Amino acid sequence: MAPIWTLQLHPISFQPSIWVSKHQTHLNFMKLRPEFRFISSSSKQLNRKFVLGANSGSPSDPDEPAVKTQTITVAVKDQLSKLHGTINSFPPLVFVMNRYGGRNLAIGLCIAIALLVIAVRVYAARKLRYRTPGSVADLVRRGQLRSDRRGISRPLMYEDPFNNPMVKVGKSNSTVEMCGKVYRLAPVTLTEEEQAIHQKRRSRAYQWKRPTVFLKEGESVPADVDPDTIRWIPANHPFATTASDIDEDLAQNNVYQKHGVPFRIKAEHEAMQRKLEALQSEQKLNNLMIDPRNAKDFERPFKEHPRSREQVEQSSFNNQTSDSMPPTSDPAPISVESNSSSEETQKL
Amino acid sequence: MLSLHNPFPTTPKPSINLNNSTPPFSTTFKPHFPNTLKPPKPHKPHFTTRTQSLLQYNRKPQLAGETPRVVVITSGKGGVGKTTTTANVGLSLARLGFSVVAVDADVGLRNLDLLLGLENRVNYTLVEVLNGDCRLDQALVRDKRWSNFELLCISKPRSKLPIGFGGKALVWLVDALKSRQEGSPDFIIIDCPAGIDAGFITAITPANEAVLVTTPDITSLRDADRVTGLLECDGIRDIKMIVNRVRTDMIKGEDMMSVLDVQEMLGLSLLGVIPEDSEVIRSTNRGYPLVLNKPPTLAGLAFEQAAWRLVEQDSMKAVMMEEEPKKRGFFSFFGG
Repeated sequence: MAPIWTLQLHPISFQPSIWVSKHQTHLNFMKLRPEFRFISSSSKQLNRKFVLGANSGSPSDPDEPAVKTQTITVAVKDQLSKLHGTINSFPPLVFVMNRYGGRNLAIGLCIAIALLVIAVRVYAARKLRYRTPGSVADLVRRGQLRSDRRGISRPLMYEDPFNNPMVKVGKSNSTVEMCGKVYRLAPVTLTEEEQAIHQKRRSRAYQWKRPTVFLKEGESVPADVDPDTIRWIPANHPFATTASDIDEDLAQNNVYQKHGVPFRIKAEHEAMQRKLEALQSEQKLNNLMIDPRNAKDFERPFKEHPRSREQVEQSSFNNQTSDSMPPTSDPAPISVESNSSSEETQKL
Repeated sequence: MLSLHNPFPTTPKPSINLNNSTPPFSTTFKPHFPNTLKPPKPHKPHFTTRTQSLLQYNRKPQLAGETPRVVVITSGKGGVGKTTTTANVGLSLARLGFSVVAVDADVGLRNLDLLLGLENRVNYTLVEVLNGDCRLDQALVRDKRWSNFELLCISKPRSKLPIGFGGKALVWLVDALKSRQEGSPDFIIIDCPAGIDAGFITAITPANEAVLVTTPDITSLRDADRVTGLLECDGIRDIKMIVNRVRTDMIKGEDMMSVLDVQEMLGLSLLGVIPEDSEVIRSTNRGYPLVLNKPPTLAGLAFEQAAWRLVEQDSMKAVMMEEEPKKRGFFSFFGG
């Protein structure tokens, strides 16, 4: 099976030899028996017809037995040449088998491995194709969705850190090979007695009490407080200014709060609501207020009297002075007043 | 890129076990393969097994102690890796299935949100809760990658926390988290600020246990010793140590103190040893903690192991010391 491609090449190379052999036989026969007829061009046919031509040429020849022996030798030669021709016509197979017999197995193996790799890749590609791209699994993979809420995700496999294939342990369990380096395992030598000795040493060396009272520099020390538990805060310390900003109880409640709106947000919201209500109520009051300049229109007319005239003049003077200083806080009433007076004049 | 899985199942080998509470596993286990491919034929045994890894898949540590476990991560000296440890250990705990609330107790300099990549989602802090501007559940930022991990920042840079009741505020916070409707979190991890000032006192107030982060250099060790003394004076007895930024090559060349030397100086149990890793800076830039990398880096693995020990209240029993690699002979090429 394997050397098929070799068969295709070799017949071409052997064509000239066949052609040469044809011509050689032709030339040989021409040399030996030039008087015999030359009928065809192929070597086999030439030999056969040549023999036929020779027999039919001279029927009453006295040298007939000699001719018969000659024909026999020629037939044998013919058979030999036929065999030779047959062998020559199948050179590729024989030649290749002789020359490349030892490598057939390796070539076959390579081709088999290549076919296997191709099959595996095709299978893997098919499997990848069946996975729908752009699914929710991609969102989980990207971390946009939590995987533990979903049944589609596979459980996360965790490799044991004490059993990693990168770490190769020696036969006696005392050497370890990791990343190209060899390590020896040395046992820890610390005993409990040594640990106790170190603890005693430290307790003697470091005497420290947790500070429970925080005082700013310059403040007096309370009488019932242990001086070792006082921590003095420098005046320029960034935390010194926030000592009394937050109430402790309130802070504790804020930490323990589990539901609802946080305290400060709620307090700010309530404060804003109160302010809004206050503003709204102020505006209503301003709208209901009566302007004293308009009150004159509603007054009843009275008889003129010299004293009353003077009083009226004084009152008009007072009104003029009050009109010359218009109130800035409520421009709306003035505009309303002017509108109402203009409306009244239009009605009239 | 290294893959964690060996496609060829082999005979099981013992795993590295720096934790004495790891349960033994059975060797009679059928490997589970995806139903699309047939299992390949077994190859010659060379690596630790996929069978073994699958056996340990989804193995969870046993939670010890009362919940919520309030752990403060402190150091004294700045820049040793407290915030990195808080982010990575916190997320490791969340990956293990525990509910975690991480609190950034650094009042003036907030960083934990940057490491977690949540800086754009912090709208409210504890100061706003105290002032009554929002509720506590509105101030908690839930991580979309791991829904059982939440972050709470104490304050924004410009706001002020009253120095008098900062510690009390954290105590109220822990009580409020215990009594919330979703249930009490398993772990409350507090990222302590550097120093031993008001911020340190505030952060350690509600804690029951402490993780001390230190590096193997003398300045860090001195500060760590002082902080350990203060923690013990305040009543915190369960103190464990994480040694960060360890360079095994420098320890081998005797240019750096070994982890055992550090332990001898401080006298504390070891929770973890984190090697120096440039991936820490890259993960900070990405806002993607180390422990989420696949495949995990050495530092990420170490953080995960430290988180495991924290859950089980265990400590390291052995440390790794770098040695010269074996010189391979001629026949090693053939697998000998």
